[in-house]
Amino acid sequence: MAFHSNRRRFIKIAGTGAAVAMLPGLTGRTAAATPLTMQAAWINDAEFAGYFAAIDEGHYKAAGLDLTYLSGGPDVIPESSIIAGKADLALTTPDTTIKAIVDQGAPFKIIGAQYQKNPIGVVSLAKAPINTPEELKGKTLAVPPVNVISVEAMLAINGIERSDVNIVPYAYDPTPLIKGEIDASLDFTTNVPYSIEQQGEKATSFLLYDFGYKTYNDTVVVTEETLASKRSELVAWLRASRKGWDANFADPLAYPPKFADSWFKGTGRTIENEIFFNQAQMPLMTHSGGIFAMDDEGIQANIDTLGRIGIKASRDMFDTSLLAEI
Amino acid sequence: MKSRHDTLGTAALLLLILIAWEVAGQLRLVADGTLPALSAILTRLFAERSDYWPHILATLETSGLGFIIGNLIAVAAALVFCLWPIGERLLRGVNIAAFAVPPIAIVPVLVIALDGDVARITLAALLVYFPTMTATLAGLREVDPRSLDLVSAYGGGKLKALLLVRLRAAVPAIMSGFQVAAPAAVLGAILAEFGSGARWGLGTFLLGSLGRGEPDRLWGIGLAATAIAGVGYGLAALAAQWTTGRNRAVTIAPPPSESTSPQVERWRRSLLTLIAVLLPFLFWQMLLLAGDLSPIIAKTPLGVLDYLFFSNASPSAQSRLLQALSETIPITIGGMFIGLAVAFLLALLSFATPVVMRALLPFALVTQTMPLVALTPLAVLIFGRGITVTLVITISVTFFAAFVLLAQGFALIPRPAFDLVDAYGASTLQKLRLIAIPASRKWLFVAARLAMPKALLGVMIAEWLATGKGLGNLLNQSRGYLDYGMIWTVAVVSVLVAIALYQLTYTAERLTER
Repeated sequence: MAFHSNRRRFIKIAGTGAAVAMLPGLTGRTAAATPLTMQAAWINDAEFAGYFAAIDEGHYKAAGLDLTYLSGGPDVIPESSIIAGKADLALTTPDTTIKAIVDQGAPFKIIGAQYQKNPIGVVSLAKAPINTPEELKGKTLAVPPVNVISVEAMLAINGIERSDVNIVPYAYDPTPLIKGEIDASLDFTTNVPYSIEQQGEKATSFLLYDFGYKTYNDTVVVTEETLASKRSELVAWLRASRKGWDANFADPLAYPPKFADSWFKGTGRTIENEIFFNQAQMPLMTHSGGIFAMDDEGIQANIDTLGRIGIKASRDMFDTSLLAEI
Repeated sequence: MKSRHDTLGTAALLLLILIAWEVAGQLRLVADGTLPALSAILTRLFAERSDYWPHILATLETSGLGFIIGNLIAVAAALVFCLWPIGERLLRGVNIAAFAVPPIAIVPVLVIALDGDVARITLAALLVYFPTMTATLAGLREVDPRSLDLVSAYGGGKLKALLLVRLRAAVPAIMSGFQVAAPAAVLGAILAEFGSGARWGLGTFLLGSLGRGEPDRLWGIGLAATAIAGVGYGLAALAAQWTTGRNRAVTIAPPPSESTSPQVERWRRSLLTLIAVLLPFLFWQMLLLAGDLSPIIAKTPLGVLDYLFFSNASPSAQSRLLQALSETIPITIGGMFIGLAVAFLLALLSFATPVVMRALLPFALVTQTMPLVALTPLAVLIFGRGITVTLVITISVTFFAAFVLLAQGFALIPRPAFDLVDAYGASTLQKLRLIAIPASRKWLFVAARLAMPKALLGVMIAEWLATGKGLGNLLNQSRGYLDYGMIWTVAVVSVLVAIALYQLTYTAERLTER
């Protein structure tokens, strides 16, 4: 228990230090930046190009933040990092975040949304295309276990029996689809069609979003405690990240090659793949209110969609007041 | 003794297998080209070598540190258990749990409780601990009693005997433990890389490469992982040769047996057993207290009981758990039996023709370190997503330890036994039937005990990656939903299932003795 109280005290002292540093006049530009840690949702790829751009261009530093970036991966559940205190904010899928709030009483708030339209969709080969939920009947669809509820919701919304579709686990490898072992897979439509074309096949896809499953993705999530104690830092993070994204989308071809020897080095993917991704995600992220915007209509669509799979979302889980301060 | 003739034979067979692989790859014979030609894999590996280095170094570092730390703890624990056998009895629950726990069940908890590299090193060390500890303890206990008498005649105590005689005698056994531990350390580090979002490491490289649908890259990464394990394995074998002047065959010591403990009164024995059962739970509770984690993540033993029996979520949790268990347990038992049968046949084959065994050993080693995530797409393409694929994956993780153990059992059969039937003109087949098979009964049960927890791991991996059923799928899904109550429950239940199956083999052994 001694350890516990020490840690608390340390946080308190560190917090006081930060508060002093924020006082105008007391500190110049040389003041130590406030540490802030973000947990990404996946391994380094174009999905996070805006954050890499903002780091490389010094936007976080200019905003007084000393940002630590944690990569994700298929087995990393970003929300776990903020509950465990390893990160201050995480990029998450809203269905798991809200399910954790409802089922586990997790103290989360959603303060922004990277994707206005969730990029997950059903990907199939052009020579055996599946363009609507209806066409999934009698087919084998590979789905990451975490996303099974999303697919079940999409099927229900479109009046298709769950038992009409054979759902098997998906391990993010397109080989079974290319070889015809499965008929379709659930993946980011911004990404996997490129890999399939590299293997000499053409891909086709539809977004779950376009068939009634209207959710955000890569929602920016913090704990209530962090929201209270680091509010100004979070606003600074949103502002700096938006700058990074705006720079990235000014020319979607420009940034990915710049990261070839840094962020994207040795990820096992190619720069051409990241450029494809970066171009494909642009229409899913842009909003008249700027990157991360959450308007009333969008929030309501998320609440309604999740309500259809029995996840009781409510308006107070979304906090738009930080976006207003940017 | 290996003759020149045998060495040539081994080399020829090895070459033949490699050529067959190359041809199968070139002609795209296996699953429409999913098994690439060896030359294609190696060419690509060489072309991309600059991409590989940082990943190899990262995995080398974490698995190497895990290997060293796990082995130090294992040898120290074995020394303590040798001097103070009560200690072994008290920690038996902890030891069996460390042995039986399926690594994938504890990865989610480990990566949350520990930071980055520490989680990877810890998992590697945990997987290393048990094989080295048991091998060392067996080595320490199997000494020439005359040497011990000599030490005590000169007035040396237990400690002197341990340091002068036992430790020295145990070196070959310790080295054989290291040989088994080397692939375990690499697998542990890679499994933890999957879960922890590491920037570098072969596991991370594999994840990034999975999405490209290029099997030659996946196989290249698998071979790199195998090479790291092979280096560890080879160094341990060399060390064994230096220290003893002879190279002992790989041995796997059997898990702690029930009968080695000194005779004690009944009530004391019950007390010891009770403490042994309670200690793992106590450690669990203490780790959580030290970790200072949110109660959403950290479930104590009582927290799990509450989740499973007294909370609002209990009815749903119970039905999902029972459903998963009913899918997982039967196939685990079936997979264990088939894996054991495969190991037994291979051991027989290698007994009859040792050349075959030496040629097969490198490939057997590949199955131990090649991350199953890379092999599963291949297995799915060949065997589909039904029971067959689960059995194939289970056999591939089960047979190695059992095979090594059975081969060792066959090798220990006294030669004069064979000389007798030889004199009567028995064929190799008759020798097997009359002597080798009956003599290996004991080893079969030991092998079954070793294979049980591995079979459970194999089934869970297949469920997670291929079939979407059972405990493996439940674990993966719960992780996505942050259902930590269920994550802890699956971890605990899978250890309990492994221990129950493990005890079952004891009962079966006792029954066949009558």
